[in-house]
Amino acid sequence: MTAAAFASPPAPSPLPEALPILQLVGVRKTFGAFAAVERIDLDIRDGEFLTIVGPSGSGKTTLLRMLAGMEAPSEGDISLRGVRINETPPARRPTCLVFQSLALFPHKTVGENIEFPLKVKKVSPAARKSRALELLRLVQLPESYYAKNVMQCSGGERQRVALARALAYDPDVLFFDEPLSALDYKLKKVMEKELKDLHRLSGKTFVYITHSLEEAMVMSDRIGVMRAGRLVQVGTPEEIYTQPSTKFVAEFMGEVNVFDAVRAEGGWRIDGVDGPATLNLPSALREADAAAVVVRPEFLRFVEGPAGAQNRLTGVVFNEYALGSRIQYQVRVGEKTFLLELSRANAWRGKPGDAAIIGWDARDAIVVAA
Amino acid sequence: MNQSARRSNFLIWAWTLFVLVLVYLPIVCGALAGLSKSRYFGFPVARWSTEWWSRALESFEVQTIVKTSLAIALIVTLVAVVVAFFGALAFARYDWKGRRLYQKLVLLPIFFPQPVLGLALLLWFNAVGIQPTWQTAIFAHLVWIVPVVTLVIAIQVYGFDPALEEAAADLGAGRLFVLREITLPILWPGVWSGALFAFLLSWGNFPLSLYTTGADSTVPEWLYSKMVAGYTPMVPALGTMSTLAAATLLLAGGLIAALLRRRAAGKAASA
Repeated sequence: MTAAAFASPPAPSPLPEALPILQLVGVRKTFGAFAAVERIDLDIRDGEFLTIVGPSGSGKTTLLRMLAGMEAPSEGDISLRGVRINETPPARRPTCLVFQSLALFPHKTVGENIEFPLKVKKVSPAARKSRALELLRLVQLPESYYAKNVMQCSGGERQRVALARALAYDPDVLFFDEPLSALDYKLKKVMEKELKDLHRLSGKTFVYITHSLEEAMVMSDRIGVMRAGRLVQVGTPEEIYTQPSTKFVAEFMGEVNVFDAVRAEGGWRIDGVDGPATLNLPSALREADAAAVVVRPEFLRFVEGPAGAQNRLTGVVFNEYALGSRIQYQVRVGEKTFLLELSRANAWRGKPGDAAIIGWDARDAIVVAA
Repeated sequence: MNQSARRSNFLIWAWTLFVLVLVYLPIVCGALAGLSKSRYFGFPVARWSTEWWSRALESFEVQTIVKTSLAIALIVTLVAVVVAFFGALAFARYDWKGRRLYQKLVLLPIFFPQPVLGLALLLWFNAVGIQPTWQTAIFAHLVWIVPVVTLVIAIQVYGFDPALEEAAADLGAGRLFVLREITLPILWPGVWSGALFAFLLSWGNFPLSLYTTGADSTVPEWLYSKMVAGYTPMVPALGTMSTLAAATLLLAGGLIAALLRRRAAGKAASA
């Protein structure tokens, strides 16, 4: 991608203290008796790449449609640079939404699609065309595509046309409603990186919505996790990964071992496992009666003797799965299943059906709200 | 080709031929009757003549009724398409309170027997003191044709992605700009077929015209009255002309559409 398409050089990462470009205060959206979004407070920083992640039905699309102006909040306020914009229609917001369906105009060529916002602004045809060609280069499409029918483009190409069209509008904030969900895995990986590069080049604020935390991890400066209309946690990818605030966030992260710890005589034990009488937990849990414990598969290991790890469980290796550079093992302990991941170089020497002792150290476990 | 494929191929052809004969035989018979020299309808045709064709073309009476029918059909087409276009948007594009009721109500006139509808309209015109002429027939046709055209255009609207309008508005476009640049061009095929339906349904309508044209007469009315009393081969001659004109209209429409497609494809390929 070339930086020439933008007048100013990209801004460095914004300061957290700066005035938020978009601010949500107590935003709520109801459809009849159903509350799609429940009292959300969120500051979106100027120039950041923010991703809202959540399962389908968590209210993330409704939230995005309110930000884009296609729905008005039932309660609360949305402000853009300090100005309340609750009822401002999309056409009068310096924002642009890239739809999940991309919403490319099927009766127009690639060039006409990209030029659409410029035509609205009554830019001269010559200036429109030169800007469209510039944007085609930016999104890495050949200039010959200018006159191509947009319906004859492939999925990835359409993606780029939609992006170019949004950039032609020159918005301050770009919204994305899962635009990559229809692409195959390989192309998705490429587009994720291109999108992040484009964010760097343009210096614009990107607000992205997806149900894939993996996608969010690659691109985002910050991630917000939504569940049942609420923002459960907002933080950097690092924070979300290492310090999930709830069991839901931890499980949403992907394959992790989550189990409920219950009070036993003189300490804690795992619910449903005969296991060790006392668990070594990272922080003292004085008052609570129960907590959820998260141990990532890569922090679990096979141990030989009692000295191998602070927490140990005896089980049977049920199966193993090759994941390229890593190998994953499914170990059954009582009624519970644990996932354990090793690099190929350190592969376990046993075979499925063998008994094994697995373990982890206290500092590798995360205690979250149950 | 194996035995069973050949047999099914034969059956497809036989069936197609059967349907074509079934549909076109009466039309061909009508056309032949118009080319008979004899004044009375009879087969086989003893002596051939184009006399009735030229007499039909020259007849002042025929010219008048064709003009009346054309005027009604053209005005009905124009009004029906405009009304039905927005009606179809309400039918299929927007979700509003009362939409389901509207969807049912708007279709009711289609199921109402046309002779009864015509009579009801005539009584109504009399009650409010309007003298029925070909203009009142326009209104009568609209009552029945607008619902049909609404349905035809609504089918196209159902396939329309509302996100396209949202995206256009999001890129700064106003309502009229969106209508002109996005909604209308995408719905054109539906509007065209709606217009074609409106024209042909109005042109061929008999029961509504019978009651509501007053002293004026349309082509189907004239044909009927001549069949009942004072038959001449001008009747099948005019009927054949009408069929040929409609066929030409359809062909021309198809040709124009094909040419436009080719031009659009050429534009895309040349650049």
